[in-house]
Amino acid sequence: MSAAWVAWWMVWLACAVTASAQVVVTKGPTKRSIALSGFRGDATWAAQVADVLRNDLRISGHFTVTPSAQAELIQSGAVRVEGNQLVVDCTVTVAASKQVALSKAYTGSVQDWRRVVHRISDDIVSTITGQPGIAQTRIAFVWVREGVKELAVMDYDGHNVRQLTHDKSLSVRPRWSPDGRRLIYTSYVNRFPDVVEADLITGTRRIVASFPGLNSGAAYSPDGQHIALTLSKDGNPELYVMSVAGSGLLRLTNTRAEESSPVWSPDGQQIAYVSAAGGSPQIWVIGRNGGEARRLTVSPSYNTEPDWSRPPPNGELPPMIAMTSRVGGRFRIGLYDWGAREVRLLETGAGDAQDASWAPNGRHLVFAKVQGWRSRLYLLDALSGEQVELPAIDGSATEPAWGPLIAAGRGSS
Amino acid sequence: MRVFQFLLRITIISALAISTLTGCRHPPAPKQGGDGSGLGSGAGQMGGITPLDSTGVGMTGGRPAGTWGQHGEFEPVYFEFDSALVRPSELPKLQAVANALRGNNKKLIIEGHCDERGTAEYNRALGERRALACREELIRLGIAADRITTISYGEDRPAVIGHDESAWSKNRRCEFITVSP
Repeated sequence: MSAAWVAWWMVWLACAVTASAQVVVTKGPTKRSIALSGFRGDATWAAQVADVLRNDLRISGHFTVTPSAQAELIQSGAVRVEGNQLVVDCTVTVAASKQVALSKAYTGSVQDWRRVVHRISDDIVSTITGQPGIAQTRIAFVWVREGVKELAVMDYDGHNVRQLTHDKSLSVRPRWSPDGRRLIYTSYVNRFPDVVEADLITGTRRIVASFPGLNSGAAYSPDGQHIALTLSKDGNPELYVMSVAGSGLLRLTNTRAEESSPVWSPDGQQIAYVSAAGGSPQIWVIGRNGGEARRLTVSPSYNTEPDWSRPPPNGELPPMIAMTSRVGGRFRIGLYDWGAREVRLLETGAGDAQDASWAPNGRHLVFAKVQGWRSRLYLLDALSGEQVELPAIDGSATEPAWGPLIAAGRGSS
Repeated sequence: MRVFQFLLRITIISALAISTLTGCRHPPAPKQGGDGSGLGSGAGQMGGITPLDSTGVGMTGGRPAGTWGQHGEFEPVYFEFDSALVRPSELPKLQAVANALRGNNKKLIIEGHCDERGTAEYNRALGERRALACREELIRLGIAADRITTISYGEDRPAVIGHDESAWSKNRRCEFITVSP
């Protein structure tokens, strides 16, 4: 349990006001100051690389980027192009001791140059803080244009947007497999909502669930072997678990109300979901084999789309459930406070904030913010409260899903 | 407020940095046609991600086969916000649907819809609950269960484009489409 987490948690506990009106504006975590001296070599490349690195380090929440010589850490480096390869040397020195914390050469294809820089940022973050960097992760989302919804994937900073489906239908609610290779989502390409799994390496797709009625909201278990999903084949939208291969379908809930939006606990033993069984949509928790359901949230009167973070073992925050909460006619991102058993609202500024998804560091969130009836994606650092607006795309971006950490070796090219 | 201004500043700075960096921030235009094109271009930028084969996901069974009728053959059944309860005032509309299904072997599709407020996935479940509530009423009126199939569109197929209660109240609905064998 890190000191930063304890401090942050105490800020929360100090807020003794009732849940629905409470807005959490946390004090920032400890940040180290780093001076980016830039990169020697080709001026255009040096500027581009420095800009991406500066943006990565700022989003990470671990650093204050300063040009000042007073900084705790000094970055220096060089950049050159060899054929189709970009080579970036990067060194980070501790100012006080002159100790070299990091000194490494990074190579990648020129067209993949942003990912080369993201690797540098992740190395700086993990070397200096011991926390995993998230700059090489990706975010899947729903790209909305003229009533058509297609799946798309982008880098975590909103660049390299790539449309995945071209069905001119509704392709919605993507979720990542734990290894980052597959997406599972809901497709209306056959007129009815089916659960479809897409393999991002081979580009192939297969139907996972196409029962009568609703097939939607699928989420992989942490071990990637099972999915939880919503089916209405037995007369009501209920939660089920089945193997990814399609066997062993198990019904978890049995109510007269709708259940939806399952998400697994980090240990894979429980599932949080939405149920209106208590009269309003609220977050409930049930065992992965069923049994007695436990209602988690009571107020505000609308809490949906839970996402249960899976922080690394040394994570700065404990596993937490983020959700969409409706307060006073506005939608907000809420975090469940396990101690006080209340929903705490995060400050996200004007507009309706919804569909939060945790980064694999268990600290950052991506969410959709609707302003002027257009939805855009934002990153939010739950530890500092700082948010970053991702670059705009035409149309709207909704239902984001933050992908897992890239396994060692897969980030390079 | 101070936090907000700080964030605003970050946003502006990063937006500027990004636009000067890339020149063009528009993602690649969607590929047309069903040949799975686009496999080559820029695949490296995705670090090994391959665009999905656009030939489809495979066919599914167990769905009503035949010719789908038009929307608007029946009056939509409307709902209150966040409710799947069929109000007594809406029951005559379901009676009309039931009457039209008597003495023939048509099947029925019930579409469940929500207004744009709320989260998309919960609205898919709510829309399904609405469609199933109408289905239960039709079964009560004597229509065989195996003749009725539901589709929830959640908030994705509004009847009226608009962002106020007059539009929302028209979008919280079930629509009925007959399928002739």
